[in-house]
Amino acid sequence: MAIVSAPKDGERESAAEAAAVRYEHVTKRYPGQDRPAIQDLNLEVPAGDICVLVGPSGCGKTTAMRMVNRTVEITEGDILVGGTSVREREPAQLRREIGYVIQEVGLFPHRTVAANIATVPELLGWPRERREARVHELLDLVRLDQDFAGRYPAQLSGGQQQRVGVARALAADPRVMLMDEPFGAIDPITRDQLQNEFLRLQGEIRKTVLFVTHDIDEAIKMGDRVAVLKEGGRLAQYATPAELLMAPADDFVEDFVGADRALKRLALMRVRDIDLWEAPLAFVGQATGEVRAKLEGAEVPHALLVDSRRRPLGWLSERDLAGDLVPEHPDSSPEPVLDLDDVMRDALAELLRSGAQYAPVADGSGVVAGVLSIEIIAEFLKSPKALTEEHPAAERPRD
Amino acid sequence: MTSFRLIAAAGQLPQDFFQNRAHKTCIQEQGTVCPGWALDHIGEWVTPTLQHIVLVAVPVACGFVVAFGMALLAHRRRWLVAPFLGVSDVLFTIPSFALFYILLPLTGLGRTTAIIALTAYTLVILFRNTYSGLSNVPEEVKDAGRGMGLTERQLLWRVELPLAVPEIIGGLRIATVSTVALATLAVFINGGGLGVKVYPDISFLTGVLTTGIILLALAFVLDVALVIAQRLATPWLRVAQSR
Amino acid sequence: MIDPHLPLSFLGLFGHAINFILHGQEAETGGIHVGGPEKMAELALTQLKVTGLAMGLGLAIAFPAGVLLGHYGRGELLAVGIGNVGRALPELVIIAIAATTIGVGLLSVTLALTILAVPPILTNTFVAMRQVDRGVVDAARGMGMTPLEQIARVELPLGVPTIMGGIRTATINVVATATIAPLAGVLTLGDLIISRGANGDAGLVAAGICVALLALILEGLLAVLQRLLTSPGMKLARATA
Repeated sequence: MAIVSAPKDGERESAAEAAAVRYEHVTKRYPGQDRPAIQDLNLEVPAGDICVLVGPSGCGKTTAMRMVNRTVEITEGDILVGGTSVREREPAQLRREIGYVIQEVGLFPHRTVAANIATVPELLGWPRERREARVHELLDLVRLDQDFAGRYPAQLSGGQQQRVGVARALAADPRVMLMDEPFGAIDPITRDQLQNEFLRLQGEIRKTVLFVTHDIDEAIKMGDRVAVLKEGGRLAQYATPAELLMAPADDFVEDFVGADRALKRLALMRVRDIDLWEAPLAFVGQATGEVRAKLEGAEVPHALLVDSRRRPLGWLSERDLAGDLVPEHPDSSPEPVLDLDDVMRDALAELLRSGAQYAPVADGSGVVAGVLSIEIIAEFLKSPKALTEEHPAAERPRD
Repeated sequence: MTSFRLIAAAGQLPQDFFQNRAHKTCIQEQGTVCPGWALDHIGEWVTPTLQHIVLVAVPVACGFVVAFGMALLAHRRRWLVAPFLGVSDVLFTIPSFALFYILLPLTGLGRTTAIIALTAYTLVILFRNTYSGLSNVPEEVKDAGRGMGLTERQLLWRVELPLAVPEIIGGLRIATVSTVALATLAVFINGGGLGVKVYPDISFLTGVLTTGIILLALAFVLDVALVIAQRLATPWLRVAQSR
Repeated sequence: MIDPHLPLSFLGLFGHAINFILHGQEAETGGIHVGGPEKMAELALTQLKVTGLAMGLGLAIAFPAGVLLGHYGRGELLAVGIGNVGRALPELVIIAIAATTIGVGLLSVTLALTILAVPPILTNTFVAMRQVDRGVVDAARGMGMTPLEQIARVELPLGVPTIMGGIRTATINVVATATIAPLAGVLTLGDLIISRGANGDAGLVAAGICVALLALILEGLLAVLQRLLTSPGMKLARATA
């Protein structure tokens, strides 16, 4: 491999562009089993995308993933990575170019964190300084303190171990990453954190990722595209998360996505994707009569006090409007103030937590753009729009 | 020098040694094997075999009683684990053959010394297995037992010991099978057993092989007996396996 | 032959044994001098030599076999079965058969002891390779380690405690059994036992003490070796497990 013999610093790191992965009529049969584990799978994962393979246990999702690095051999068909057939590659060489993260993490307990991360660079024969620099860089990337370099896996928490697992998989700057339920064994709070961190990371590194999970919520959160597999390794649907929720291809997918798929859609929407109520605005020193007139027939029964640049200051109560002029300090604060770019699910959570009926929504510069209420969200969830209409900005949130 | 010793050993043989070993189909010479002769004279092995069984059964039984007590004690009082394991490590390292002679000034030549040394050997294996069997009982099972109101004593006899049976019997199997082989050396301290059919008559291949076969058979039979005992004692494992 | 003052004072006999090791004594049969540090050292060195030869040969056979069978997960019945049968092998019978069929001398003793060394090494090496965490092996393979790299970088380092356990068991058994090597013409410490007539009971006790010391020293050295070969990461892993 040229990579081994001539590693020029900085050059290869930037040169390793993500590669598209393409399944072409892939079938996997295990000896002694009548039914194939994977049947005629065709799938194209564009370079730089996260493709989540999801399905019930026994659907062959892990098998499908593992054929990419040939830890499971293909029976029929082919998989192309960056246009090259994996069947023509020597397995060990192929695997060194593909990052591999598994649920068990599989850190080597007898090697330090640094040595674990440097495993593939070591196999590729990188000189020591280059390996050390890379370890340093990767610890930063996965937000682990440099002190961790000298520790052993037994000294790390589950979440820290999996961060090292991800760093180790990224060490030789692979063109493709395979992740088999990477966060499956981790407690829900840490899992959420690791998911967000990985999405942030992916924003920087833009790898092609094949991600296996049995959790549809994780699939929707993590995937640019989601491949739903059903028993016997047949592809039930391959679509963006939004499409999956809006138009399940069949009863199986609809069942699998769940009865609460409308609610799940909230995770894919931003506040700006929904029709907000108009806020009756009031300014300091304005005549209360004008404000009362505005409130007549308004959707929101309270006036929102804003400053001269239309940034929210608070909600005006009846008492605030008792005088002639609007006072400077209203009774209640405007909290929570939401942002147009907030994810709908988080916005709902914010409303429920604060106990507020309404929340002002500001745009990027803090100017009030409207009001979101629980009622709006409830109406949206009831309407068929929730499952049919694709919002122009509906895109996977990047935290 | 050594051949001198072998001759000397041969010199101690009874007068009728060589006539005794002539068989109608097989003339005894060094290096020949005569199964016919062995079958005709199998009676000569009965007493050594019975002695051998004593040399195995008594140490394993004594070792088990002591090890069981030590394991229960260590299980109750954790601070005893380290010293017990330390002592058993050292005891395990001293070959029982060496122990025969270290004990000699205390207990003299004879079967008692052999039995004590072999007991020390079984003790080590049995203590380790019994203790680890008890400590490998899952915490949640013990917790459930306590939650249902079992006293510590009830917990031990109804939950912990039954669950430790496979490991305890595993230890008994290792101890028994190894002791069958080791007890052969008791002959060197006048302890009897099947070793007498090998030493000093070591070049009589028919006798040596017959003894070897009896020893292996004895080990096998005792091992199978313990496996059966374990199956009877742990019916729940059979159910789990057949599923 | 029976020591007249045996039941009276055991300290006396221990004293005789230590005297036998440090200074030696006149043979019970009269005439020649037996025991003494030079003679004891010579016997002990021979015992170490045959132990070393048999362990070397045993390792050369059993270690690669255990590694290969363990890595590929083949022959579990064979590898584990040999360990079980190995425990039942009567040392005395093996030495006697070797001496009779091969003839007295170093070769037959070495081969007989090798037969005793192989089972624990083979079984423990096999088990050590198999018990490496499935996820760790999967990760090693998935990262592109060749089978040789998986063995050398992952499976063997993680298997050190179990493999060394087998080597320690084998060593103790071999060094103990080497005591009866004089039956096959190699003069080890057991010579004091076999030729009891000349050496007396002091010789017997002296032999017992020296064999025990040899075993303890070898065990200690192997324990140190094991400690050096075991990564601190694994000690931590076991402490937290």
